[in-house]
Amino acid sequence: MEIALKGLGNDANYWQALGEGRLSLPKCAGCKRWCWPAPFRCSDCGSWDFDWQDVEMAGEVYAWTRVRHPFGGAEALGLPYVVASIALPAANGIRLFGLLEPGDDAAIGLKVAGKVRTNRAFERDVLAISWRPVA
Amino acid sequence: MSTPRFPVSTAVVGLGVRQYKRGAAPMSEHGVLVRAIVDACEDAGLDPADIDGFVTYGDDKNEPVRLMTDLGTKELCWSTQVFGGGGGGIAAAFGAAAAAIISGQAKTVAVFRALVQDNSGRLSAAVMAHHLTDYIVGVGLTAPAVECAMRAQRMLEHHGVPRQCMEDMVRASYYHGARNPKAVGYGKELDVEAYRSSRVIAEPFHLFDCSRENDGAGVAILTSAERARDLKQKPVYLKGVAQGAGKGWGDLLQNDEHYASAGFASVARRLWEQTGLTPADIDVVQVYENFSAQGIASLIDHGFCTYENVAEVVRYENLIAPTGKLPVNTGGGNLAQGFIHGIGTAIEAVEQLRGTSANPVPGARYSLLAGGPGVPTVSSAVFSVDTE
Ligand SMILES: [Zn+2]
Repeated sequence: MEIALKGLGNDANYWQALGEGRLSLPKCAGCKRWCWPAPFRCSDCGSWDFDWQDVEMAGEVYAWTRVRHPFGGAEALGLPYVVASIALPAANGIRLFGLLEPGDDAAIGLKVAGKVRTNRAFERDVLAISWRPVA
Repeated sequence: MSTPRFPVSTAVVGLGVRQYKRGAAPMSEHGVLVRAIVDACEDAGLDPADIDGFVTYGDDKNEPVRLMTDLGTKELCWSTQVFGGGGGGIAAAFGAAAAAIISGQAKTVAVFRALVQDNSGRLSAAVMAHHLTDYIVGVGLTAPAVECAMRAQRMLEHHGVPRQCMEDMVRASYYHGARNPKAVGYGKELDVEAYRSSRVIAEPFHLFDCSRENDGAGVAILTSAERARDLKQKPVYLKGVAQGAGKGWGDLLQNDEHYASAGFASVARRLWEQTGLTPADIDVVQVYENFSAQGIASLIDHGFCTYENVAEVVRYENLIAPTGKLPVNTGGGNLAQGFIHGIGTAIEAVEQLRGTSANPVPGARYSLLAGGPGVPTVSSAVFSVDTE
């Protein structure tokens, strides 16, 4: 399968940082708003400039599902696996997708910390963030 | 900034459906579609050669110009597809057809959706292909069920919608489907224990919370209200239609403001403004339910209930025709009638007002169709029995 995009919008810096084990997100240089998906233009203030800043991989579970059906493209994750949307307080609540590992205690509001991992999908190595519960 | 009243000057005059088990269509997608269009023309009393416009949605691969040799099309005047890979374009397709007719760009327009797996592959894969990037596949978010399950989980866990509502939604669809000879689920009652013990796909969805996929084609022909009066069937008028997404909803990698909703906030508002109607005026509802929870979210978005009173409204007995106050998916819906990318829900919305539904709502005057819950672009329409 040919996958043209790595993500959505203007997100090259996100992938470069992830490749170095960091999380970097765009903050509008004009109105200082955190933005995700990464835009080319800030629709609030009209700025075309963004400061990409490192953000600590600490957040909380906003939504989740435990997948038990073997969907194509997810074979390498094994079953079940837990996909989650993680809200980042340090970036004004922007939400990122991630894997919750382990996912046994999945619940909205669960505090988590993340690290970059590699997943194999559609015969390619793909970067993702793995989130684990923290006390 | 209110939406102007929608001109009630177009009507659905012909319906055609050919539906088969997935992988069991006797012809190619193109052939099945031609069959369904000709069926719809016979239903209306129209010559297929007089269809001068075509509208579809959801990445249908059948380019209308290729149908001309089969139909004898005299002149192709309108050929349009609504953007979006999911079922969010279904009601919008009726809007595009009406726009062509009202503006004089076409006279008789076929709204269609055809799907034969051997030609177009699995629908779920085609829908997801719109979104498959490294960001998505990296976390195993490779199917619509996973995306919708996450939103459903928040609807249950955070907004407190009872799990029972999902079960009741599914049971209502299967009840209607079991009594609809044209449904895949005809004659098959859903056993509640079978529902509860069916395998989990992605929490909170069990197998029966997920729509089927069928081969087939469905067609609804629209023309002007004036011409409709001279045709064979009782006209069913398009009372209003809206499509799109409001700010804070869309392709936002799940950063939507109303995350657990089905995305209809702005569409529903415009629909009510256009028609001058309120949810209380609607007699029967067809909601495109890719998954049970998204059907419930659609009802909430349109104002039929709230997070607070959802358990009183989305209750099995209340959803059943003809005795329930809010009959929903009276043909069986995507879960039990069949799933040619939702076109069956549009057909049923019209059949209710013709009086030909297998589960009729007596005296129904207004019928609502809501398409594509949870996807970036959604759409809704209201049909009516008169032009007032
Ligand atoms: Zn800005």
